[in-house]
Amino acid sequence: MSPTIDTAHIRTAYSCSLDVAEAFRACRGQLGAAEPDLILAFIGGKHDPKEALTAAQQVFGEVPVVGGSAAGAISPSGYGYTGFEVGLAAFTGPDVTPTVFFDHDLREGEVAAGRRLGEAVRMGSSDGAVAMLMFDSVAELAPLKLHPASRLTAGFLDGLGSRQLHVIGGGLLTDINMSDGWVFHGGEVRKHTVIALLFPPGIRASTVILHGCRPVSSFLDITRIEGAEVLELNGERALAVVEKMLGIEIGTTSGQQLSLIATLGEKQGDPFAPYDENNYVNRLILRADPVRGSITLFEPDFTVGTRVQIMSRDNLLMLESVERGVSNLNGAIKGQDCLLSMYIDCAGRASVMSGAATEEAELVLATLDSTCPFVGFYSGVEIAPFKGHYSRPLDWTGVLSVLTRNR
Amino acid sequence: MTSEPISREQLERELAFYRTEYNEVGARLLRLQEEQSRTAREARRSRTVARLIREAYRIADQQMPAELLGEPLLAVIADTSVCDRAVFLREEIGRPGNFIIEQAIGASVGATVCLNPVPAFLYTTSVQSARPEASALAALIGVPFILWAYEPISQRALLLGNSTESNIHRPFEASDQELVDGALAVYIDVLLKKRAEAALHQAKTAAEEASDARAAFLAALSHELTTPLNAIIGFSELLLSGNEHGEAKRVDFLRQILDAGRGLHAMIKDILDFSSFSNKVPLLRLDWTPISTLLRAAVRACSTGSHAKGITVDVLPLSPDFQVYLDYDKFRQIMSNLLGNAIKFTGSGGRICLSSEMTAECGVSLVVKDTGIGIETQDIPRVTEPFVQVGGQHGSKLGAGLGLPIAKQLTEAHGGQLLVASVFGEGTTVTVLLPRGSARRS
Repeated sequence: MSPTIDTAHIRTAYSCSLDVAEAFRACRGQLGAAEPDLILAFIGGKHDPKEALTAAQQVFGEVPVVGGSAAGAISPSGYGYTGFEVGLAAFTGPDVTPTVFFDHDLREGEVAAGRRLGEAVRMGSSDGAVAMLMFDSVAELAPLKLHPASRLTAGFLDGLGSRQLHVIGGGLLTDINMSDGWVFHGGEVRKHTVIALLFPPGIRASTVILHGCRPVSSFLDITRIEGAEVLELNGERALAVVEKMLGIEIGTTSGQQLSLIATLGEKQGDPFAPYDENNYVNRLILRADPVRGSITLFEPDFTVGTRVQIMSRDNLLMLESVERGVSNLNGAIKGQDCLLSMYIDCAGRASVMSGAATEEAELVLATLDSTCPFVGFYSGVEIAPFKGHYSRPLDWTGVLSVLTRNR
Repeated sequence: MTSEPISREQLERELAFYRTEYNEVGARLLRLQEEQSRTAREARRSRTVARLIREAYRIADQQMPAELLGEPLLAVIADTSVCDRAVFLREEIGRPGNFIIEQAIGASVGATVCLNPVPAFLYTTSVQSARPEASALAALIGVPFILWAYEPISQRALLLGNSTESNIHRPFEASDQELVDGALAVYIDVLLKKRAEAALHQAKTAAEEASDARAAFLAALSHELTTPLNAIIGFSELLLSGNEHGEAKRVDFLRQILDAGRGLHAMIKDILDFSSFSNKVPLLRLDWTPISTLLRAAVRACSTGSHAKGITVDVLPLSPDFQVYLDYDKFRQIMSNLLGNAIKFTGSGGRICLSSEMTAECGVSLVVKDTGIGIETQDIPRVTEPFVQVGGQHGSKLGAGLGLPIAKQLTEAHGGQLLVASVFGEGTTVTVLLPRGSARRS
């Protein structure tokens, strides 16, 4: 029997340069002789998107480029969030190259866009396949409004119907301050666009969610909420409750700094079960309104009656969670034919924002056993299968996924 | 013994107690976490200058021109301070208060702003009304929240900007002056250091070139002096040897000695002139002279040489009232050298043409054009260097190579320029341009 040559592969590259063309040239060099069929690109948001796309096209010619802005990129050869990073995954061969689905109408409604995308993916997929969602997180700049990942994901899952997929994903940002976000698709720079990468049926994923928040209050009932704007907790003005906890007054500022400090967490399952980070879905605070006494969350998926707790970031817990989660993943992928490690990391977890003494991305890189290519990016929101079931958007998490090939 | 059942009231009190305590402890934990995070963020910010210094040393070790070092330093500033915009500006020379962006992250290089007065330090927040200078700077980089530092001696400034007030850390505040002043100082220091290094390198290169030129000069000088001296000594020894040479031979030897002596004399005069003009600008006795007189005299002076080679020398018609303001003797020397060279490098039966015209604003253009051997393109820049004779074996036998350098020195002493153009194998054109005001109609 003659040996078979496996020509299908995924390779990754990373560079950081003020000159995006130079960064792409460096990445091309790292990819070696690979002749990719698809490029997944995460581009630091200080680069001009059109210049970045032109640079990509100059380097890769007619090869389709998808992806978009990222608050930073992560790879074994470097990571950062200066805004000048370029992180790439290059897919070669039909056995590993995902099919790209898209919808350009997020502005017309995230649920509907998600549903259309889900229906399209359902048609082309089989149960157990891996799908990755990416979209530009920032819908409007003033006042800041996000494309809610909860609505998008709900629509997507609805569109999938009975199809059981392993769905991961992330929101694309230009920077940690959520200044903007954009998507590459169809040889263009796009806004209000969601893309889904559907991996070939022979590929499976093992995913862990890395946490880092701890409850610091007793349970509070949401007693008044409009969309993502929480007006009352336990019948009191929501902002007053949070201010009392923090011992600060938001005053006349936008309150955006709250997103650095606290989240609201909903505990799943038995509310009186011992603390387990995996039981919490956290929602970051987008802004505060001193006049309305409200806080606006990243997602509008809480309702009146939702029992929440004020959650504190805990840098130590975050690093412990990384060690625990990566250790579990190492066990899950042991002996597997690993193709690609993908890390979708909440930008708030970067030490420049969290103040953690150790970069948790560095800890992920150091503790992950897999020697397969790795690429990651700093995101606005993370999507992953929650407790092994259906996927939902998460805040302040890191989603680490290893793609493996069926043997 | 059985314990007393706990009453509902007691349980509710206990629950309220634990809830309050839990909330209190949780709030303290939250504040401690935030305090730790804030301290870490401020520490990172305060490391900006230290990181800049490290980066500056790294850059200083590279062969990076001074003009390019701003961008990597801005990248460090933008990374550690996590700002959206960062630019270095330079105050334009002779235009106080006018600044131009020299290096930028997130803004346009070359954009300008006018400030009056120029603040040494400035920042904006949402709770204070912006000064007009702050509004101008915010407009310059397209974000509302700015942080500015200006150093008046070097006339350079650093401007940082954010689109949101909170950014990651907090709004800009007065204590940030230390950061921007420090960052600007590091940039100016490394900029001046790189410039000093570049000037030193340039001076070293010039000194090495001068040393090489001096060595080449001495070598060429020795060679040029030795050749006629050998002739003089050789023929003199022949005459003194006591051998019978016959009258014709004796006269020939004496003529050879005389020619070599004259050549030597001319060369030494050239060398003295060249050396003299190199050390100081020749003193000129300027006066108005009809150009026709000057050119005809020059042609007459070299007519022996041109006749001997059968070369035609044409002087294009000149208006008799066209006068030039120059030192007659020095300019005769220029013409003599140019015509001498033209005759030297033009074959028998060739042609030399002299022309002159008044240029814009009463300047003068004087052209000597020959149909000689010409000069190869790559050699043209070298022909005005001393002792350089290009053209291989033709040149090596035809003089010391000081004619054009002396003509160039004398032309420049008149405030003019000497330009050489040539096509190899077709001929050479030398143009002497005298500055405006050098010509008139009498």
